[in-house]
Amino acid sequence: MEQVAATITNVLILSSIYILLALGFAFLFNMLGILNLAHGSIYMVGGYIGLALIRGLGFNPWVALLLTTLIFGAFGVFLEKFCFRPFVGDFNRTVMICVVIIIILQTAVNIIAGTQVYSLPPFVEGVFRMGPVSVSYERIVTFSIGAVLLGVIIWFVNMTKWGHQMQAISQDIEAAALQGINVNRISALACAMGSGLAAIAGCLIGAYLNLGPFMGDFMLVKILIVVILAGVGSISGIFFTGFALGALDAVLPMLLKGAVSEAIAFLTVVFILLIRPQGLFGHEA
Amino acid sequence: MRDWENMNSHQPATSALLEFDSPTRKYAKPAIYAALIALFALLPAVLSSVYMLHILILIFIYVIATVSLRAITISGQFPLAHAAFMGIGAYLSGMASKWLGWSPWLTMPCAALVTSGIGMLLGFPFARLRALYYAMGTLFFGIGVLQIIYALGRLTGGYSGLVGIKPLFFGSKLPYYYLFLGLTIGSIIALYRFEFSRIGTNLKAISQSHLVAASVGINEAWYRILSVGVGCFFVGLAGAGYAHYNVVLSTSSFNFMATLWLVMYVLIGGIGHFAGPIIGTFILILIPEYFRDLKMYSPFISAAILGIVVYLMPEGLVGLPKIIRSWFTQHLKDKRAVHAS
Repeated sequence: MEQVAATITNVLILSSIYILLALGFAFLFNMLGILNLAHGSIYMVGGYIGLALIRGLGFNPWVALLLTTLIFGAFGVFLEKFCFRPFVGDFNRTVMICVVIIIILQTAVNIIAGTQVYSLPPFVEGVFRMGPVSVSYERIVTFSIGAVLLGVIIWFVNMTKWGHQMQAISQDIEAAALQGINVNRISALACAMGSGLAAIAGCLIGAYLNLGPFMGDFMLVKILIVVILAGVGSISGIFFTGFALGALDAVLPMLLKGAVSEAIAFLTVVFILLIRPQGLFGHEA
Repeated sequence: MRDWENMNSHQPATSALLEFDSPTRKYAKPAIYAALIALFALLPAVLSSVYMLHILILIFIYVIATVSLRAITISGQFPLAHAAFMGIGAYLSGMASKWLGWSPWLTMPCAALVTSGIGMLLGFPFARLRALYYAMGTLFFGIGVLQIIYALGRLTGGYSGLVGIKPLFFGSKLPYYYLFLGLTIGSIIALYRFEFSRIGTNLKAISQSHLVAASVGINEAWYRILSVGVGCFFVGLAGAGYAHYNVVLSTSSFNFMATLWLVMYVLIGGIGHFAGPIIGTFILILIPEYFRDLKMYSPFISAAILGIVVYLMPEGLVGLPKIIRSWFTQHLKDKRAVHAS
């Protein structure tokens, strides 16, 4: 029973983190066609900035979470303006600039924090008990933050004017510009949202697991799996694939040895991609 | 042949005006190549440190890898599993020499052939995928290969790495230097012949438009499989050489970031020209190596080089002469305009 409860919370937390990160990635990708390989590193640095604010400057964890999000929102605007906007449409150069960002962020963290393993202090203390089941409040809070944010994003994309403009840009960037949509402002907004979400995910994972300078590489691959399997242009597909990957990642290691389960997972992904080259929910080849 | 070169680099064919067939022009290029080869052959006599020799050997290995990556990219697809294929070659050769006791001289070509075979077998299903989906499919495959290496820990050494591989030579690094110099020159010549053969021309046609290429009777799937086979042969050779040179293998040399670095070597040199990967590899390994006293800060040097190329040289480093030339002509024009007025 204990195990089942732990697994269920693991599945929920992992999948909400995957979906948060993949959504931020997919906004930018669908709108500008930029494969933001630096997303994993932004997520990693987000965790470290949260750590620095809490441990170094002594902020309340909640305030620190908010501040980190704001800092990374601003960073996202900066990225969009100086690193992505000059190269829209030139795929190779966007990949190169992303690698530059990855190197700078990773090296900076590596120099400042070293390879020592840190973790954020929990947002809430205590354990929730109900009969034989006990779950720490920390996990419940992590999952709730993820779920609330996902709700807010769905509301934002589908109900607000800016969200509609984002959808219009992802359908056809030139037609959207002809309709009077300020493409630059909306893509800066999308990049800011993506970076902010990545930073929140970094803080949540930092409290739930540990922080390391290279955790972004691993997460980047997971993000790519979620986005590509969902299919380019499909936002709703990300929820399904993110949940599926979270469930697989939480359950498979319990049944098989670590590397075997990972190998099976990756080869399955390749297999699915070979059967459906456009992704599970995509429509264009 | 020259037209294809121009089309691939997206530049107008104005440079054809400069290609007059004077004897100096005709013999200049072979003379430069001969001089370069002679320079590299004599370099160990000048270099005092063994460490520099080591760096040069690594550069040779990576030049083979990146030039073979180019053999696949001219078909218009960017595979992100190239370091993984290098790893397949390295681990196959290392394991054969360690567990079967074969001579490294036998395992290296065998590993290269097997890697090529694996690449071609995978090429069949992967020929369905194009552009981003191809890149991502190969990326996931590459990570899957690493996980398989971890999972077969008893044979491959798993997380702690494969040790006890037979070296090619004992003692000095000098024989390695000349072996890899020879292998690199051979691979470059072979891949140059491949790129400017009929097959390479067909591959470039496919990269321009696979529908037009199919309409004139080019079998897209078959040519792409062939290019993957050729690319994987040479990268398998590079990996096998690396295994017997380094004697110790760990998966960190073949992971996603390693692939990304190979792609960076190609992109920084410029994908429009055959020499791009070679120049890119030399620049991106030698310059950070020159600043290695900075220790932890040295990745910033690589980032700076990449940043400069991204912002200032849209065609990569091979486009640099053109930029300088156009800057000079512009400058002269301005001066003339000033004189005229």
